[in-house]
Amino acid sequence: MTEMLVDPSVLREQVREKYREVATDPGATFHFHTGRSLATRLGYPDAVVEALPDAAVESFAGVGNPFVLRTLQTGERVVDVGSGSGFDSVVAAGQVGPDGRVIGVDMTKEMLDKARLTAAQLGLEQVEFRAGLAEELPVPDSWADVVISNGVINLCADKAAVFAEIRRVLRPGGRLQFADIANGRPVPVEAMRDVDLWTG
Amino acid sequence: MLEQTGFVEVQIGPGWDTFGGARGEDNARAFEVYGYPFLARRSG
Repeated sequence: MTEMLVDPSVLREQVREKYREVATDPGATFHFHTGRSLATRLGYPDAVVEALPDAAVESFAGVGNPFVLRTLQTGERVVDVGSGSGFDSVVAAGQVGPDGRVIGVDMTKEMLDKARLTAAQLGLEQVEFRAGLAEELPVPDSWADVVISNGVINLCADKAAVFAEIRRVLRPGGRLQFADIANGRPVPVEAMRDVDLWTG
Repeated sequence: MLEQTGFVEVQIGPGWDTFGGARGEDNARAFEVYGYPFLARRSG
């Protein structure tokens, strides 16, 4: 069993509050970059980013680019864990095309509202957004060809549970392609037990 | 951890200076925190 460094429910509420702010006040200053300039910084193609309306990009808060090691294939079924305002789900929808499917899962209502509005405005019928947790994805067993995620797993207290849940929704042989942060120097245990430091 | 939870063929790509120029840069520098892309395949 994985040792919990912080209370998962307390951490979850702090993360939800932080990303509620990113959704509703994307022009604010955070400890991380956001928006169109971040997407460019992380290597998303200019043509993809520039084609999207501000609402689709302004609350993007990823830490990397889950598409650099593998481009999605036409027709694939994709789950986006912690889909936020839907930026990566929209990029995924463009790669899988109208015959593919993308299910974005997020726990923050304001992010889900924003993502659903963007998908509707862009006419992306292959994309839907569902409320849920990374540890309890509202997706059937073995449904997905691919699971993507961006800067989310580091914010989960029980990472082993998240990976096990991702494995459950992936078909055998399916791909997990995600971006996340990692530290090159050890973080003191007392700092890791301080839930306030997890969200900046 | 990926391999322990049933993933194989794990790849890690080059890092991004995710927090450079952001408010969290000092903490990121202190612990050499960067963003990375990961790719893995579900076994079985």
